[in-house]
Amino acid sequence: MVGLGFRREFAEEMISGTLITPDFIEFAPENWMNIGGYWKKILHRVLEKYPVLCHGLSLSLGSPEEPDKDFLRYVKSFLEEYNVRIYSEHLSYSKCDNAHLYDLLPMPFRMDAARHMATRIQQVQEYLQRPLAMEIISYYTPVAPEMSEADFINEVVQRSGCQLLLDVNNIYVNAFNHQYDAKAFIAQLPLDRVAYIHMAGHEQVSPDMILDTHGHPIADPVYELFEWTIRQIRPVPVLLERDFNIPQMQDLQKELTRLKSICHQQWKQHELVA
Amino acid sequence: MSSLPDSRQLQQRFAQHLRTGVNTAIPGVAKDRLAHYRHAIFHMVKDTMESAYPVTCANIPARKWDRMVRNFFAHHACTSHQVWKLPLEFYTYAVENNWDEGYDIPYLSDLLAFEWAEIEVFNMEDVAPAAFTSTGSWMETPLVLNPEYRLLSFKYPVHREARRARLLKEQGAWFVLLHREPVSGHVQFTGLSPWLAFVTEQLAAGITVKDILEYAPQLGITVTAELENDTVAFLVDMQRQQFVLGFQP
Ligand SMILES: [Fe+2]
Repeated sequence: MVGLGFRREFAEEMISGTLITPDFIEFAPENWMNIGGYWKKILHRVLEKYPVLCHGLSLSLGSPEEPDKDFLRYVKSFLEEYNVRIYSEHLSYSKCDNAHLYDLLPMPFRMDAARHMATRIQQVQEYLQRPLAMEIISYYTPVAPEMSEADFINEVVQRSGCQLLLDVNNIYVNAFNHQYDAKAFIAQLPLDRVAYIHMAGHEQVSPDMILDTHGHPIADPVYELFEWTIRQIRPVPVLLERDFNIPQMQDLQKELTRLKSICHQQWKQHELVA
Repeated sequence: MSSLPDSRQLQQRFAQHLRTGVNTAIPGVAKDRLAHYRHAIFHMVKDTMESAYPVTCANIPARKWDRMVRNFFAHHACTSHQVWKLPLEFYTYAVENNWDEGYDIPYLSDLLAFEWAEIEVFNMEDVAPAAFTSTGSWMETPLVLNPEYRLLSFKYPVHREARRARLLKEQGAWFVLLHREPVSGHVQFTGLSPWLAFVTEQLAAGITVKDILEYAPQLGITVTAELENDTVAFLVDMQRQQFVLGFQP
């Protein structure tokens, strides 16, 4: 299954057109909840045509403060109403001192933070009655780390029992920005917990910095890392994220097709077994 | 035991810096990378405000506008989970802090209210209208209105004009009706006289045109055949525009 992040810019094309044919779509519940009128009609039409996975932006499970109960209640009913199979969030925080910052901030890789986050994830999983798939974010600076990123992630996953969303581009970007080996990093992760994969494009903005822009086609070395990665795991849904600098639909479809053929190649044996 | 503060404090310092720019030193955090986060977040917030308030932003000098957005983001704890609702917090913050005076833009809150209302009415959750029929008496049957609307009152005619000098000359009582067309979802604006704004408010409360007209003298309004005709003509027009949906059965 190879899906596409749903965006308003190509809503009409996805509903009525023939140029793009993802197996599923993904969107952030935040962008669609409490909405009526024109976009609600579009949402209903797109959901008639595609299965949907949800990718949250603002639960902020790494926050010092408690998750917002009203918001969680709304998420729960939204996931049920639209029959959403996977709800993913981020190993990050975007809210602090009760103020949202609308960005995914890097967690301090420290034991107290890992434990705290694991507890939050557990609370939410219990409330929603489903596991969360937690995404390893791209980040641009470490924050007073006392343990490695991989140890931090392992600690959170082990304690909370959550699943992982592996954004292969994020890991490529992080490996470049923080000078580590992407494959060695991935090899340290609890790969049996991977439930979902993201792929996206990035942009190198300086000799020592790549930005995770979602505004470019997937780069070749990220395809290569993807190919290597999926060999290590069982088949899971794969999503192409494209949020800016939206190209022609044919070009997005080419990326979907390329991802699909890599999945097919690497996961052949699984298909035979299944 | 670590000599560093706990993670919670580190996160608070980090986030506080991103909002306010207040200097902070956190072990391991590179200055330029911290600056990158601060820049990216502020850019996103500013961009959100500029898309929501294009007229307001275009009519305020760039530096002043920049200061306003920075002031808002640094001092106000944003509570919206949904980015599209963030401009409402900006508007509310401007009103609560009397920015009309503070920034010397007397029509600022009117302008923000007007631009926000368009977003709000366009996005608002669907509201099912009451049952209605297409036959009835304009004078004596209570009307059924499209529930997806906002009626706004302004001190300045920000729905017609954005230039400072002209706006300031036209201080008064101005009314605008915004409603969402049921099928297309488009938002329509209608400038209303004080009388028609009053009529609209009363109709929404289920009062008939006849009763509204009977009450008019108490507002110091003389009821003439012309006023009656104009009122009904307005309603017929608003029916065409799908604001008046029909008559109560
Ligand atoms: Fe992602």
